[in-house]
Amino acid sequence: MKRLALLLASLLVAIPAAAKDQLHLYNWNNYIAPETVKRFEDFCKCEVVQTYYSDNEELLAKLAAGAKGYDILVPTSNAVQALIKGGQLKPIDKAPLPNLKNIDPAYLNTAFDPGNKYSVPYAMSLTVIGYNDRKIKELGLPTDTWAVVFEPKYLEKIKGRVTVLDSSSELFAAALKYLGYSANDVDEAHWKQAADLIKKAKPYWAAFNASSYIKELTVGNIWLVHGYSNDIFQANLDAEAAKRPFHIVHGLPKEGAVLAVDNMVIHKDAPRPDLAHKFMNFMLEGKNSAELTNLIGSGNPNMDALQYIKPEIRKNPAIFPDKAMASKLEQLKDLTTAQRRVRNRMWTEIKAGR
Amino acid sequence: MRRRPVALWAAAAAGYAFLYVPLIIVVVYSFNNSRLNAEWVGFTLDWYDKLFHNQEMLAAAGNSLIIALVTSLVSTVLGTMAGVAMYRHKMRLLSVLVLAPIAIPEILMGVSLLIFFVLLNFTLGLASVALAHIAFCIGFVAIVVRARLAGMDESLTEAARDCGATPWEAFRHVTLPLIMPGVIAGALMAFTLSIDDFVITFFTAGAGTVTLPLQIYSMIKIAVTPEVNAVSTLLMLLTLALIVVASRFTPSLLRSD
Repeated sequence: MKRLALLLASLLVAIPAAAKDQLHLYNWNNYIAPETVKRFEDFCKCEVVQTYYSDNEELLAKLAAGAKGYDILVPTSNAVQALIKGGQLKPIDKAPLPNLKNIDPAYLNTAFDPGNKYSVPYAMSLTVIGYNDRKIKELGLPTDTWAVVFEPKYLEKIKGRVTVLDSSSELFAAALKYLGYSANDVDEAHWKQAADLIKKAKPYWAAFNASSYIKELTVGNIWLVHGYSNDIFQANLDAEAAKRPFHIVHGLPKEGAVLAVDNMVIHKDAPRPDLAHKFMNFMLEGKNSAELTNLIGSGNPNMDALQYIKPEIRKNPAIFPDKAMASKLEQLKDLTTAQRRVRNRMWTEIKAGR
Repeated sequence: MRRRPVALWAAAAAGYAFLYVPLIIVVVYSFNNSRLNAEWVGFTLDWYDKLFHNQEMLAAAGNSLIIALVTSLVSTVLGTMAGVAMYRHKMRLLSVLVLAPIAIPEILMGVSLLIFFVLLNFTLGLASVALAHIAFCIGFVAIVVRARLAGMDESLTEAARDCGATPWEAFRHVTLPLIMPGVIAGALMAFTLSIDDFVITFFTAGAGTVTLPLQIYSMIKIAVTPEVNAVSTLLMLLTLALIVVASRFTPSLLRSD
């Protein structure tokens, strides 16, 4: 018993004793290049301690319950809005952030956080079409329109070879865009049209899949997906590494698509806001920001980063959309409780129906 | 030995296959020379090499082990005491109190523990996770111990008392050895429950506290590499080793008696 008590006591004591200069980063997995972390650690003479979440909801739930100890979080724009509303964030001091000038003004001062009081853009991704170039070319299907995901006349050629994201907001957004509405349209009649479109296409889809579609694309089981641009980039890297006889290519729908911007914010109870600001400014430096893009193929709102990004990534219009495309991109807004209830009911009907 | 019908053997084989084939596949694919791990490419030990150089994964595994060891030690002591008390004193309220954490949905327990820790201003970290795990493991140990006690002849303890043993001596030298297989089984159960718990751990882990399940789960978004298979294989080996060690101490554990 005594030994046990000693063990427990040492455990309790051991944790705070380890506290030297540490920056606690609560981040998505694989969302910062290891060499960037290393360089920041050398620069600030501190240690970066990362913890991971795999979903914005996870992060929101944990912080809403009162968890603390995190300095920097990297939520998507709509989650930033929720965090601001919940009073979870500390306003940013702009003085230690001279590198903020590197960010493309198009991504600053958004409706989610007017004046960037709390957040600075970190990286982004588009929800687009990804496809197996050989198969889709053979079949002569279009890849520049959501029609290929929703219209039975195209789908019948690739029945059982298509997956869509298992996310009601993403799938409804794609359907609404295809129908010519805004991705953030909240008219119930329009939602009904979108739901009907989805129901008609569903028998042709292999699955609602948000995680293993990268692998399915690479193996060649799935030929076309509705997925995230960085996942499709990863699938192509994997296909190349495995020497597959095909490539996985991005298709940009001409109707427009969803843009997701992840932002750095500082938690209200951040133990080290000084290090947090240092980290923000460091990550706003073009070279550091570019390393993430080169690693995972994420989009980058940092203009100074462009010169460091591999040319094949920089030229990819699904990662760096041109002006015409950029005007057709939309960030998803949160739904109200009442709207969410309607949306959930429709989503359940879609998933349960045959 | 009596002959058993073929159908029974077949059903048993199918049952065991269902339990063990997935595990075998995990082990086999940890040697697969393909990052994607979708089909068999060739034999390699690379993933184990990578794993032993992956500080994050090792730190997570280390955290998981520390938490599981502390959890199984503490919850075994407390759970055994609870099991004995439940059996001896037949207090209804005690059973409810001890067993409730088993029945409560994990997510509820995770959130309420987090709120509780925040209220107490308790720093989230390894300690909070271990405390949370102990809280839900006590019930499991208590159940196993109580079941073992139910099958024990109470007159043995009484005989010890008649011969002049103090209550503690009677417990230490008569009851405890008899219920030892139950205690060991409870400890193993607590260890296993702790090492693979995700939901409660997610809520009670603090900044920088990563356990193996948390680490693996966060990797699901970006394709899982065979490194995860490798670390799973090592965990399975460890669990097997624990069972072997436990059965050394109490030979009756693995035998039906």
